[in-house]
Amino acid sequence: MRFSFFLREALGSIRRNWVMTMAAVITVFISTAILGAVLVTDRNLDRGATSLKNRVTIEVFIKDEAGPEGQQALEQKIAAMPEVKSFTYISKDDALERFKERYGDRIVDNLPINPLPASFEIQVNDADQVEVVAQRFFDDPNVDNDKGTTNGVQYAQATVRKMLGTINLVEKVMWVVTGVFGVAAVMLISTTVRLSIFARRREIEIMRLVGATNWFIRWPFVLEGFMTGLVGAVLAALAVWGSNWTIFNWIKSTDLDYLSIEIYPLWLQAGTWPLGMLFTLALLGAVLGSVGSIFAMRRYLRV
Amino acid sequence: MIVFEDVTKIYDPDVVGLQNFTCHIGKGDFAFLVGASGSGKSTLIKLVLKELEPDEGRILVAGRNLNTLSRRKVPLLRRNIGCVFQDFKLLPTKTVYENVAYALEVVGEPRRSIRRKVPEILSLVGLSDKVNSLPHEISGGEQQRVSVARAFVNHPPLLLADEPTGNIDPDTAIGIMQLLVRINRTGTTVLVATHDRAMVDRMRRRVLQLDNGRLIRDERRGGYDHPVEAEPLLQEV
Repeated sequence: MRFSFFLREALGSIRRNWVMTMAAVITVFISTAILGAVLVTDRNLDRGATSLKNRVTIEVFIKDEAGPEGQQALEQKIAAMPEVKSFTYISKDDALERFKERYGDRIVDNLPINPLPASFEIQVNDADQVEVVAQRFFDDPNVDNDKGTTNGVQYAQATVRKMLGTINLVEKVMWVVTGVFGVAAVMLISTTVRLSIFARRREIEIMRLVGATNWFIRWPFVLEGFMTGLVGAVLAALAVWGSNWTIFNWIKSTDLDYLSIEIYPLWLQAGTWPLGMLFTLALLGAVLGSVGSIFAMRRYLRV
Repeated sequence: MIVFEDVTKIYDPDVVGLQNFTCHIGKGDFAFLVGASGSGKSTLIKLVLKELEPDEGRILVAGRNLNTLSRRKVPLLRRNIGCVFQDFKLLPTKTVYENVAYALEVVGEPRRSIRRKVPEILSLVGLSDKVNSLPHEISGGEQQRVSVARAFVNHPPLLLADEPTGNIDPDTAIGIMQLLVRINRTGTTVLVATHDRAMVDRMRRRVLQLDNGRLIRDERRGGYDHPVEAEPLLQEV
């Protein structure tokens, strides 16, 4: 088909109906900006959750009486566990050093002996495995348990796991909210397009009377929707990315920097979804715009 | 060119559009379709364009059987039928030139040939000086001439006109009719639905008279050989 004719038709129509076009652009802008914001938030929550999970460590304290044999036995036991990602041995001296760092030299200097036990710090692959792994040391004779307790094994308790659960839930809720917003966006866009097409239904009727095929009539409208959606979405992507960037830099400059948020890539990214913010939203906006036009035109194109 | 065989179209509920209508309009004919409002003239035109489907009977237009013509082929049928309407039906946002050119764009005419044909037809209808005007900037008679130009620019074998002079003054109307006659002389079949009595009188062409969806008169030479006063159509009015 003759693309240039359709393009001229679409551009002419955008120019003539610029108020309607603005309305559509704003609609697309708002809808896709919401999605963009969700993408950024989700990415950072994910990151937060991952770093929390990484901090889920099990500390196993070794009895002083266990000696090097006991330490080796424990080390072999830990190394054999498939759930364990990594582990470090902290000697009595290391422990004392740490203690010094945290509480200062004065207390330590006054101690006649080093009361701190040696220990293993164990990272597991999955936060859910913490409990299971920890339990295996409860009855170990080399572990520094007080009689009748399991206080020789320290690990992240319910709080951390609850936090992780909360993040998980928040993520799920956000996707549901995105879904709802997505449906609302489709409806908003199709209403906007339908209004603009309703205003031109006589034109469509005339086109049909002079023998235009449905696709001949449709193409300019689809192109118009495509361009409208694209413009709205690109503006939204830039706005979201810009806010993301500003917040990132602001947080870095304050003492909130432990939050360590991330900037969503603008162009491309690694991972299963290769498109960055700009391309993701642009694609979405363009599809929303063109499909919205096709849907809105359906009833005027029945022969 | 147009064959209606025992065609009936009833609108819901029980409003007669056409009733057992049979007629044959040959290639190159010029025929008037007359009758009061609601007598079925517009129904007939819409049936020819396949805007409506008949309830009964067979319709052939330009060698196509409309009963079996698929929806996808309807645009192709319409490209063989030029249409002129009482309300002109021009695209309000396009200039005179673009309105006529649109009919050619639709059929995929090359741009070069569009640039040649449009000025040609616009000069034929006497609008060479209004090429870049928008429809609302020109008079009703001029708009109707644009509409005629658009209908004829493809040189369709059939031209339908639904009350072409209904919205314009009598002097201008004569000009429009003369245009239609000239188009007819090129071999195009012309069917004009009208209740412009004076015009039908003057033209003395074939007249098909409808009343409540039935064909009640079909006269070659319009039956206007005898005095106008004795004309049944006139007495009725």
